[in-house]
Amino acid sequence: METDVLVIGAGPAGSMAAKHAALNGAKVLLIDRKSEIGSPKRCAEGVSKDGLKRLEVTLDPRWIATEINKVRLVAPNGTDVLLDEDKVKLSEVGYVLERKVFDKHMAMDAARAGAQIMVKTLATGMKKEKDGIIVHVEHMGNPMEIKAKIVIGADGPESRVGRWAGLKTNLKPGNMESCAQFEMVGVTLEQPNCLELIFGSVAPGGYAWIFPKGDDIANVGLGVLSTETDKTAYQHLLDFVATYPGTQKAQPVELNVGGDPVAGLHKELVTDNVLITGDAAGMVNPLDGGGIISGMTGGRIAGEVAAKAISEGDFSKNNLKDYQKRCQKEIGDSFKKYLKAKDYLLSLSDDELNSIADAFNESDFDRISPTDLLKVLIKVSPKAMLKLGKLF
Amino acid sequence: MIVKEWCMYCGECAGVCPRNCIQVRELTLEFDEEKCNNCNICVKSCPVNALEEEVG
Repeated sequence: METDVLVIGAGPAGSMAAKHAALNGAKVLLIDRKSEIGSPKRCAEGVSKDGLKRLEVTLDPRWIATEINKVRLVAPNGTDVLLDEDKVKLSEVGYVLERKVFDKHMAMDAARAGAQIMVKTLATGMKKEKDGIIVHVEHMGNPMEIKAKIVIGADGPESRVGRWAGLKTNLKPGNMESCAQFEMVGVTLEQPNCLELIFGSVAPGGYAWIFPKGDDIANVGLGVLSTETDKTAYQHLLDFVATYPGTQKAQPVELNVGGDPVAGLHKELVTDNVLITGDAAGMVNPLDGGGIISGMTGGRIAGEVAAKAISEGDFSKNNLKDYQKRCQKEIGDSFKKYLKAKDYLLSLSDDELNSIADAFNESDFDRISPTDLLKVLIKVSPKAMLKLGKLF
Repeated sequence: MIVKEWCMYCGECAGVCPRNCIQVRELTLEFDEEKCNNCNICVKSCPVNALEEEVG
């Protein structure tokens, strides 16, 4: 088989890449190793409204589980801080998706734009040729070769495509958040349409979350760093669900696990004939671990740059470099301050987190600006100035 | 490497493997045992403790 652009991985980033490469005139093949695109989910399913709008994705009630307009931050001793849109501009305000439906719909958009799709098709290796790349795949047990002028690796946190191409994409365990999540029924939510984020030793190196999905249904999960704990993410999840007030009557209907790359954008996203995007390229906000919108943003740029290179007949690293530049500007630059904020957050003890929550509730802001937030943090913990002062 | 029955094929092990030895399929996990140098990073990072190093 031959194609202009081969996209490996049909998550939201890969489907976006396939869609925009096809819309810009390239012949596109999108492959996914699984038999069902979008399943199982490896994600808490939250996206921002602004993000979807910027990506020009038409909203569809079939993949929106619920709307979010508040965030409740919970300190280790249970003290909570409620943020709503009146108080603070919340990047998390948005939707909780039904990823199994959403991912399929994004792939359908790619197909409508002209991309060909193959499911149950696993890339097992690739080699560079003079005028393209030969990708070895297995489709339903049959080995096949696909010749592509450009390969877009959207193969998730496994990120094998980039490494086959010589890009340094593998992550140290200290940069891979290990996540476990139940989708649960019978969850008691303090507030409707409100995300809950729970900090402290409940999730060493990360945080726990409750993302509501309507009625008494919610994704209840957490991420930990394997370098910070001897227990697995799943064991931490069991402990959390057993002790958190909101999950005392909850029962699981699904278990999800997976790695979330939180090192920031990879330094190299491009080489001759190859681009990487989405989780595979580190397009995940290192502070909150969210990567749907940033991955799709990267996917769109990858598709556009790949199609332009096809029309110009030049698939060299030099001609694809525009992708690196645009991703750095549109995605990577904003990650730098989140990385610092993450380091700060991870340095706080349970006691410090409790005091910050108290100080927050004592201060009386009508609207919270980042500067106000910093003042509160410095009052409680002087090291905040050192670690965060330059961010705002 | 012994892959336990409860492996969920999430691929976190493949992402942290320094030698790119692990191929995640839909319902199997394949190790390139020749490339693997038993660093055990995958064993430690597995969110459900589904990997065990083969002894001997």
